[in-house]
Amino acid sequence: MEHPVELACIIDDDRIYVNLVKKIIEIKKLSKNLIIFKNGKEALDYFRSILENLSEEQLPDIIFLDLNMPVMDGWEFLGEFVKIKNNFNKKITLYVVSSSIDPRDLERAKSFNMVTDYLIKPIELKKFEKIFDRDVA
Amino acid sequence: MLNDLQLNNILEDFDVAYWKINLLTREISWSEHFNHLIGDPDPGNNKLEYFLEHVLHKDYRYDFREHFEDLVARHKPFTAEVRLKLENGKYRWFECRNLKSREKGLTDAAVLLFVNIHQAKRDQYTIEENFFYYRETAEMTSTGGWYLDVKTNVVYWDNVTKKILDCPIDYEPNPDDRLRFYAPDQREKVENLFKKCSVFGIPFKVELKMLSLHKREFWVRATGKPVYNEEQEIIGIRGVYQDIDEQKTNELNLQNSLDIIASQNSRLFNFAHIVSHQLRSHSSNLSLISQLLNEARSPEDKLELINNIGDISENLEEAIKQLNNMVTRQLSLRKKRQNVSFKEALDVVIASISSLIKRENAEIIAEFDKLNEINYISEYLESILLNLITNAIKYKQRGRKPIIYVQTYTENGDSYLEVSDNGMGIDLDEYGDKMFGMYKTFHRHPEAKGIGLFITKNQVETMGGSISVTSTVNIGTTFKIKF
Repeated sequence: MEHPVELACIIDDDRIYVNLVKKIIEIKKLSKNLIIFKNGKEALDYFRSILENLSEEQLPDIIFLDLNMPVMDGWEFLGEFVKIKNNFNKKITLYVVSSSIDPRDLERAKSFNMVTDYLIKPIELKKFEKIFDRDVA
Repeated sequence: MLNDLQLNNILEDFDVAYWKINLLTREISWSEHFNHLIGDPDPGNNKLEYFLEHVLHKDYRYDFREHFEDLVARHKPFTAEVRLKLENGKYRWFECRNLKSREKGLTDAAVLLFVNIHQAKRDQYTIEENFFYYRETAEMTSTGGWYLDVKTNVVYWDNVTKKILDCPIDYEPNPDDRLRFYAPDQREKVENLFKKCSVFGIPFKVELKMLSLHKREFWVRATGKPVYNEEQEIIGIRGVYQDIDEQKTNELNLQNSLDIIASQNSRLFNFAHIVSHQLRSHSSNLSLISQLLNEARSPEDKLELINNIGDISENLEEAIKQLNNMVTRQLSLRKKRQNVSFKEALDVVIASISSLIKRENAEIIAEFDKLNEINYISEYLESILLNLITNAIKYKQRGRKPIIYVQTYTENGDSYLEVSDNGMGIDLDEYGDKMFGMYKTFHRHPEAKGIGLFITKNQVETMGGSISVTSTVNIGTTFKIKF
């Protein structure tokens, strides 16, 4: 069976959550490859280096972005990423994933055009599958 | 000598009526005008009795009779203010006075004049009434008047102004020392207002902080308007001071309460957010594991997942412990303030982190000479010192011996505590507004938990103070607490 997605990206500081998602992606064969960043800063550095090296094949198809992280949180990452993403030709789908049920966070996330949806943790396994299938379609 | 007719005409023109009294027979004749005023009645034989009974207001009967006797029998001057009932049935004020005879010696007749003084009397009442209202209003609202002669700089104050300023009634303001009655930080503003008013005629209406004779600070609302002479030159400024200290103090208190409530509310929001986030992230991990357990095929996979449950439960417990700490801190507010010695609090802190201090070879210099104690909750002061000092040691500049300088002092009546270090510093442009937020860490540092400064700020604010920070990257950081 083919993987629906070539490269997925998780930006999250919760080690356990990241391991579990990794497991899901493996078991369900949702993505061929996976890159993981502990916070927004690490992820942003990665994307900036892609821009410099013109190595667009290393861009993920889909990003799962956490909000509460040390050093650079999800909001700051979004603020910075918006500035550079138009330089990429590849279509990148971005989901905000947070355990926050604060409606203000939801509103704020939706104010970013590039945010496809706001997902509240925990995400159902079926939902994961749907997201990956939809992304490829 | 004028004859009766001429006299009558003149007097009538002036709205003056009169009686002519024969001193021997006591016979009274009324002038036509008098007759007319009281409605041309038929008084019968005894005009005096008719007058006393039907025309004169009863309050004046006794006095009038006395005066009349004195005039007729003893030639004493008659002068009285009385009220007469006129033809329309209404009472009017009249001044009643005998016409003084120019000839010395005995005369056989007396003339009693009745002059209508009703309008004047009413004006006088109106003035008295207005003055009464003005005075009562001024007293009740603590509003005093003042006048400044712009040529001589002489100041006039009314009694209420003197009272507002705690000055005795006989106090005379010194023209050269006018500004002493304004709080120092207001003097420039006041001078400006007076200058604009005296030079350009611009009136003012402002709230000012004044100083009483005994240097008590209080708030007034002050108005001032230019006074012009006939040449349209400004010769003075006239205005009022209204003591609004009570209102202003209430207003400031209200604002203060509002700020406290707003900050408590925002802390509550933050707390709810933390609870939601902290607990939900663990519960969602648990939920993910249970889903995965169903999907996992190999026993190895299952075992790995079960191990994860142990991690989650540990994290969950840690999170709950932290939340509980926060709540406990809020509750300990009910503890009483007492005088806490800075040195004793610092000693407690140093003892509790002695191993950290030793390991990092940190040096702590304390200077509490200017302010050695504070009315505070000792647990708070210790916690604040602990957080700031461990913070300073944790974020030392690599390769540099950490030196932490702790000092206290007072400034403008406020008490301050400063904790400075020679550590790695923080880029405030980037992180300044988030410094004291929850779970913000600015350093890629394993010991950064991001909760210390949040708690410190919380404690300082719940005690009614504030905390600020200045920092230079690679040089050091200073936290300043205003109690």
